[in-house]
This record gives sequence, C-alpha cells and structure tokens, in this order.
Amino acid sequence: MRLTAAILCCCLSLYSCQEGNKEEKKEPATSAIKDSAPSNRSERPAVNPYNGVDVSPMDMVYYPVDYPKLKMAHTLSTPPLARVIYSRPHLQGRHIFHEVLKYDEAWRLGANEATELTLYKDVTVQDKKIKAGRYTLYCIPHTDTWTIAINSNIDTWGLEPDTARDVARFVVPVVRTQNSLEYFTMVFEKKEAEAQLLMAWDDVEVRLPLRF
Amino acid sequence: MKKTLALLFFFQLFFLSLMAQTLPPVDKSPMDMSYYPANYPVLKIQDKPTEALAARVVYSRPQKAGRTIYGGLVKYGEVWRLGANEATEIEFFKPVKIDGKKVAKGRYTLYAIAYEATWTFILNKNTDTWGAFKYDPKKDILRVTVPAEKITETVESLAMSFEKTTTGFKLVVAWDMVKAGLPISL
Repeated sequence: MRLTAAILCCCLSLYSCQEGNKEEKKEPATSAIKDSAPSNRSERPAVNPYNGVDVSPMDMVYYPVDYPKLKMAHTLSTPPLARVIYSRPHLQGRHIFHEVLKYDEAWRLGANEATELTLYKDVTVQDKKIKAGRYTLYCIPHTDTWTIAINSNIDTWGLEPDTARDVARFVVPVVRTQNSLEYFTMVFEKKEAEAQLLMAWDDVEVRLPLRF
Repeated sequence: MKKTLALLFFFQLFFLSLMAQTLPPVDKSPMDMSYYPANYPVLKIQDKPTEALAARVVYSRPQKAGRTIYGGLVKYGEVWRLGANEATEIEFFKPVKIDGKKVAKGRYTLYAIAYEATWTFILNKNTDTWGAFKYDPKKDILRVTVPAEKITETVESLAMSFEKTTTGFKLVVAWDMVKAGLPISL
C-alpha cells in the first residue's frame, strides 16, 4: 500500500514538473502556425504532413442552442441567430486567473485563431444595438467583472487585438463556481426572451446577455 | 486506504458526470479551420499577407483509430459529410470559379462522394446544418469529380488545407492513405 502511495506521489510530482514546463512557454511565437502538441506527450504517432491537430481544439456553438441538429431534424425553418467559433485551451494543472492570464489585460477568449461571433441578425446588448455580421470577441478579465469587447478586425489570430476597431464594450459580472472547469467553454443559453453567451473556465463564469 | 481512494475516485467520477451534463465536453473529433492564403490569421497579425483573403474551411476532424476508412466507414459511392458533427463549411470571401462555373462569395456546405479512383466534391447551399444525414441534392450548387491520389503515409486525423496553384488555389483533403484536391480559380 505504501509503495502504491509512493508511486502515486512520484507520478504526481512528475506530472506537475511537466505542467511547469508548459507554463513557461504559454504563448507560442507568432510565427507558430498552430499551438502544436509537444512531441513527448503524443499518444499515437502524429504523422500528419498536411495539418497537425491542435492542442486547444476548436469548437462551435449556435443560438438557438443546437441549431444545426434542429435544422437537420427539420424542426426549425428560421435562420440561426448567432454562432461562436472558438478554441478550447485547458487548465493542465494551471491556475488560470491571475497566474496565466493577468487581470486588466486583454485575453483572446480562446486560443489560436481569434474567437469569432457571427450575428445573423441585429442584436441588442445592454441597450446598445450591434449590427448583424461577423466580429472578433475578446475580453479583459478583472477580479469581479469582465469587459467583453466586440471588435471588427476579423479573420485574425487571437493575440494582439486591435482595440481601435472595437465596436462596443460591455462590463459583465464574474460568478465564482465550486467546480473547476478543465476546458474553456462557451455556450449559448436561453433565458426567457434573452440569449446569454456563457463563458466559463476554471472557477469563473461570465454571461453576456443578447436580445434579438 | 484503498477504500478512501476508491471513494475519492467515485466522487470524482460523480462530479465529472455532473459537469458533463451541464456544459459541453470536448468533441472527440475536434473542429479546425484553414484559410487561403494559408495561415492568413497569423500573417495578418504580422502584417504580411501576400494575397487578399479568399477562402476558409471549418470542419471537424475524425480520427482513423485503426478503422478501415474507404469502403468501410466511408462507403464508396455514398454522400459523405467530409468531417464530423456540424456540416463542413467552406466560405469564399470573393467570387471564385470551380470547374469553370462561377460561385458567388458566401458560405456553403461541402460534401464528398468517395470512389476508389475519384472523389466527387459537392458544394451545397444548405448551411448551418449537421452532417450529411439530411443531404438535399436540390440545394447543390455544383459537383466536381477529381482524381483520388494514394499517399504513402497514413493521415490519422482528417486534414484540410489550401495550396496555391497556377490558376488560383486548391483545397486538399487528406485522410488515411488518400488525398484529393478541389481546384478553385480566382
């Protein structure tokens, strides 16, 4: 039993060493095409001469929630209202807020390509009208609030947002959760007549209300 | 000690399952995107795009995972969603030509039919949908048949990227030991 515990401890400390290494190189040089997987942790030979798989996988969410599935099932004939495409970094043992991400500094709300919000229809956010179209989304985390920026510089890489092209900024409250969420997650939720774009990672949740 | 560990393990499982119910887990076939010009977003922040933005593909990447892909998972002669999950989307940021036909700028769904020696790419206007389960040929914009090339190494995860050609560019799709290119001219 003691042996098992000792082995467990060893494994844990080894693991944390690895994490330490990862933190040091938290952002790849901008010349990097993708945040590619460190070669020592590939489970299977990653032979892909065309396009390697990202460490922070991309994902897509729609509003109405699960729109593509509803459309496939022919239960919806109206166009979608909104869509977000973003990449999902993971904690890997790190404390995100305030260790990896600094308060009061812009964060790309994802990884790799800039996080994209498509509005298929004009929307009202905190009494401000935002026109239909594609936008880049980024945020500035603070201790108790986040500033969410909707920006017109699209099809770009997430680093170095061009703040001069902000279309609007909104301040939303931070909610602390009991659980720690491993993967950064964005999802639309329906709340009465409103849509809320939930952004969650580690023990932080933030919601941006959208009225269509 | 063993009991405590076991209990801890079950608690962890329990909480993991709770979380999984409320928020979406990470997809088994992760999504990815490619641009033409290749790596446009990175070039853009470095202020060195060589050409204007022309196209983008957004697709999910299933893995071979030891399976027989062509003639197995992907049936010969049947419409294939060319990805996983949400339908594969190709967007043109300017008008282009495919197989001599004009294609207006905009978003399209891309499907394919694999045969042993050729692939047929299908450009369809039913966007924002899921897979190819309700594929509607009435919404096709065009179909184009190209050779299917054998490659020497196995590509584990379905891969798509754009390459420059003499007349424009092509979308190269590779998976397992086959690749095919959709030629697009500007």
